[in-house]
Amino acid sequence: MAAAVLCCSACNFNSRYDSEFFAMDTIMTITAYGSKSESAVKTAENEINRLDTLFSVQNKDSEIYKLNRDKSIVVSADTLAVLSRAKEFYVLTEGAFDITTEPLTRLWGFYSGLENRVPSKEELDNALKTVGAEHIKIDSSNITLDENTSIDLGGVAKGYASAIAAQTLNDNGVSSAIISLGGNVRALGSKPDGSDWSVAIADPDDNSKQIGTLAVSDAAVVTSGGYQRYFEENGQIYHHIIDTETGYPAKSGLKSVTIVSEDDTLADALSTALFVMGLEKSSKLYCENSTLFGAVFVTDKNEVYITDNIKNSFSSQHDFEVIKT
Amino acid sequence: MKNRVWIIVLSLSVLICAVCWLYISNLSPLSQIVGIYQNGTLVEKIDLNSVTGKREITLSGEYGKNTVLVSNGHIMMKSAECPDKLCVKHGELKNGGSPIVCLPNRIVIKFEDTSYSADAKTGALR
Ligand SMILES: [Zn+2]
Repeated sequence: MAAAVLCCSACNFNSRYDSEFFAMDTIMTITAYGSKSESAVKTAENEINRLDTLFSVQNKDSEIYKLNRDKSIVVSADTLAVLSRAKEFYVLTEGAFDITTEPLTRLWGFYSGLENRVPSKEELDNALKTVGAEHIKIDSSNITLDENTSIDLGGVAKGYASAIAAQTLNDNGVSSAIISLGGNVRALGSKPDGSDWSVAIADPDDNSKQIGTLAVSDAAVVTSGGYQRYFEENGQIYHHIIDTETGYPAKSGLKSVTIVSEDDTLADALSTALFVMGLEKSSKLYCENSTLFGAVFVTDKNEVYITDNIKNSFSSQHDFEVIKT
Repeated sequence: MKNRVWIIVLSLSVLICAVCWLYISNLSPLSQIVGIYQNGTLVEKIDLNSVTGKREITLSGEYGKNTVLVSNGHIMMKSAECPDKLCVKHGELKNGGSPIVCLPNRIVIKFEDTSYSADAKTGALR
């Protein structure tokens, strides 16, 4: 009897709608609660697909593809917004976050249809001449790239899309949802019972395990790590996060960086940037911007560091050090 | 008379406990049920614990064929004709880890119940 009552209250609670779909070269899931969840999720899905066709670096109809090909075009409001934010993050991270890495990523073969390989020093040096936000000119909605410069929004597109998706769900009557855009997680509101969502952080050594969980509401949680995409050549591992100082995969002493922020786009960009910057520079950036984000670091020695503004929402079986402001 | 009431109450509570115990013990060993999806549609559900011997499942998509290898407790993409082969590189499917995904051919292989209790997992996909 008690069990039956429990069961009913659990099922009746709130209607729930789950969706899983492919977009932005990855798999996405949205779980939303409430009577309007189904139509709201479908609208959010359409929004993500619309952004995908604007931002894709490979799709020949996308604005980014056309910009890279023609070097000067008029872009839509969304593309302009992402480009402006990318420039803002370039300044904030002193160049560690950079969208002009397309030629480098191409040389390393990290685009589908290409073969992974280690480029020569000469190839990388040549490509590096085209890298840097100073090669992008934004004149209202008119974007111009310097000759040979090409951009890739891979480090911000999913963040921007998750912000738009969350907003779309909210505008369509959903106040409780959890979104995962290929591992970029966004919590909209809190769980239907009013408690925080629990978001696990993958263990960089074995992503079927976790290094801990974060309790969040209304926040994005994004992890970047070399383990997410890499190849091996002559016993060396080369991952996909390129350091624009050297043209080589970043070697900063970190295995992964997780960013928690109310700003999805910032969380996405900073997870990559802080991975490139390493623990020491990242801690400094945190001290100066502790209202913008929190972070969890896993070092090459498997030490875990967490910023003090989110330490109370973190639970882990590992020991961890706290980074204070 | 009083005794009879007590016997009924006792045996009822024993029965309820037994039912609960059976229910919980059935749930607690990690579910090994895996779903193979293509274009968002379920192709097959397999209980990895009940597989005997080896079995291959062939799926075809826009970019050619994928061959899934299933054996007791294990599932992986054995070979694929897709351009990136990331689905093959993924190796064995692990509970709590990323699903096996073949983006070009729109295939997802995943556990129907994940072993982590969190609502979401960050960084677990590419
Ligand atoms: Zn594949």
